[in-house]
Amino acid sequence: MNMDLSRRSFLKLTGAGVAATSMGALGFSEAEAAEIAHVRPFKLATTTETRQTCPYCSVACGIIIYSKGDVRKGDNAEVMHIEGDVDHPTNRGTLCPKGAALKDFVKSPTRLLYPMHRKPGSDKFERMSWDEALDRIARLMKDDRDANFLAKNEKGLDVNRWTTTGMLAASATSNETAWATFKFAKSIGIVGFDNQARV
Amino acid sequence: MSVSSLQPDPSMIGGISKVPFALMPHPARLFKERATRFEVLAETSNLAPYLKFLAGIARIQADLVSELAPLEPIETGQAARAREGAMPPIDRSAMILSDDYRKTVRLFLDRAQALEMPAAAAEALKAVRSADDDTLAWMAENVITDSLPVESLAHHLYVAAATQVHAARLAATLDGKALVPVSVGVCPSCGGKPAGSMVIGVQGAEGARYACCSCCATMWNEVRVKCLACGSTKGVGYRAVEIDGGEDSVIKAETCDSCNSWSKILYQNKNPTLEVIADDVSSLGLDILMKETDYRRAGFNPFLIGY
Repeated sequence: MNMDLSRRSFLKLTGAGVAATSMGALGFSEAEAAEIAHVRPFKLATTTETRQTCPYCSVACGIIIYSKGDVRKGDNAEVMHIEGDVDHPTNRGTLCPKGAALKDFVKSPTRLLYPMHRKPGSDKFERMSWDEALDRIARLMKDDRDANFLAKNEKGLDVNRWTTTGMLAASATSNETAWATFKFAKSIGIVGFDNQARV
Repeated sequence: MSVSSLQPDPSMIGGISKVPFALMPHPARLFKERATRFEVLAETSNLAPYLKFLAGIARIQADLVSELAPLEPIETGQAARAREGAMPPIDRSAMILSDDYRKTVRLFLDRAQALEMPAAAAEALKAVRSADDDTLAWMAENVITDSLPVESLAHHLYVAAATQVHAARLAATLDGKALVPVSVGVCPSCGGKPAGSMVIGVQGAEGARYACCSCCATMWNEVRVKCLACGSTKGVGYRAVEIDGGEDSVIKAETCDSCNSWSKILYQNKNPTLEVIADDVSSLGLDILMKETDYRRAGFNPFLIGY
């Protein structure tokens, strides 16, 4: 401890520059002050990089979404760029042409933002609420299943199949979501089924 | 992995291989390129006098690398033991006791006299040159523990620069493939702290992020969007000095809400001329603005203490 202090004072006494920064201590305070003055009017821009999964297919490539603004800080984040995630073991930074065009997918003017419904006989889609849409889907699925579910085949064997309704689920899911999706589809007898859990 | 292994290797698909864990320094090139980068940056910066001074320091570092006799590589037994215990093979506390290290420091201090520098820097150099072996050993210890005493930052800068020469030469003798991750934000070669990190554009590792050791210049892979100080992947954001026209900056501060620290990230894949130490100093503006925020700087750079 004593030795330490004596060395500290030795260096303190023999060196002229005592400042809180390397630049100041070496006598470059003028340059440092110029830079401080130069940068003062500038602001800090907030951006985020977010890990995500490409929603297109069941390969589930990793992507990084670059956006301006940080939602967690109360900003309104806007997607600026999307690229393959090099750290992701599936695609190691690569993307197929569809994945590479993901930003256009996000910003597409024709992007579906809420449930739309084309009534029988109608020639146009109309907006409907989520509740309405889910109720209607459930109703139609139930009716179709009641009408077409096959518990046994012609030989009398248990088959429990429902072939008249298919299900296509997204790829951007976790292992657990994929498991639950699979359980749901198979437990009601759906045969025509595709999602990430298949791979 | 042996050739006959039945382990599936998805990297074979499409020839996209896994990025190398460590990129070892090439000291002869490293310091020469750093000196050139400092000179280029000095042409347009408010910090020109300091950048020119550091260019001179890097030139001396480059000269020493080309002049000094090759170092004895780290003993294979020690490297193997280190690997087994997930420890860095270079023992920095043993390194600073070696004769080669002391010789490098003395030689560096002699050469530094020829540099053009302010009176304060010259006086500090004189003090370090007249210091006895014990004091130099004490300073070396401060340098390798990445904690420079605030009242003698100028003095320690010279010792730190000389240490970089020796550590980079020593790291260059290591086999990068034999290195193993030690811990987040700890150099797998020497246990040093990173100055910052770079997203590189080198073929075979495009877009991968590498942390850059402030001591031995080894670069090691750390996944993107992760705090280099605490390893958290939650609450990571980015700040950059706003550019007119909304262009994205190539040097950003990676902030972490888990430990409230930040470290610099340089997008070399967008600007291949970026050099981690030189551009860290020249982007002081970012440090100045970050000082106003709640985040503390985690990156260690002996040429940029105090931010």
